[in-house]
Amino acid sequence: MVDPAFGPFLFDTSAESWLARSTDPAVRGWFEKYLKLHPVNVSAVTVLERMRGYALLLSRVANERRVQIAFARQAYLDALGTVWPIDAAVALVAAELVALLPQPPTPPKRAHRMAESRQERLARWRFDILIAATALVATLPLIHDNPEDFEAIRTAIEISPERFPDLGPLNLIRTLRLAG
Amino acid sequence: MNTMHATSQTTAKRRTTLTLPSESLAAAERIARARKVNLSTVIAEVINDGLRARRATERSGQVLKSYRQAFSRFTDAEMRLLDGVIMDEPLDR
Repeated sequence: MVDPAFGPFLFDTSAESWLARSTDPAVRGWFEKYLKLHPVNVSAVTVLERMRGYALLLSRVANERRVQIAFARQAYLDALGTVWPIDAAVALVAAELVALLPQPPTPPKRAHRMAESRQERLARWRFDILIAATALVATLPLIHDNPEDFEAIRTAIEISPERFPDLGPLNLIRTLRLAG
Repeated sequence: MNTMHATSQTTAKRRTTLTLPSESLAAAERIARARKVNLSTVIAEVINDGLRARRATERSGQVLKSYRQAFSRFTDAEMRLLDGVIMDEPLDR
């Protein structure tokens, strides 16, 4: 159990939606308590990923669902709390991480008969690096549901602290630990 | 109940009369004495804290509602797309 009072936290893209969608009373209670204390902090990269998702969905669905998706997109923008920019400090940290970890630690995702392309996997990996760099610069613990990517980044920072002067460690909290 | 005069702690101050529970007023007076500030300062801080907490609670309810609307009525595949995972390569190609 992570006390919401220890926040604010930076939320990775999938962690943010996981919290909002959870039907577990303990998770819902945790999120409600957190929101009374702090805004949801996300990277501008999360907004990018989310808005790209809504845009792709809008281009793929039948007309009758477009209103629902546009409404959901607007609701997301209304909910946004603190959005951290990709500034020079984040860019510098991310550049070091990309140089240290040029390739994603796991292969592209698969589900049913569809898979992520290598290009998409690499883009998602670099987005994760930018999110981790934001957490490091903002000195916020990162709430995530993607240990494969973020643990690799955390380890790289630990192994090469000289490349991240006055920063770190990267504090990671898995979503499953929040309320359980 | 006691009747007291309070001064709001905004940039423009205004004198007013409030009726407060005796216990609350006694507690506020104790705090003011301990901190060596006047009673108006303590009452203004308490009101500001209460208003801030109320605004945070109201805002949190709105945020929660918006978040649920943002992610409701989507399939798992659609949620992957909204989470930034784009799977467009057919596996049986």
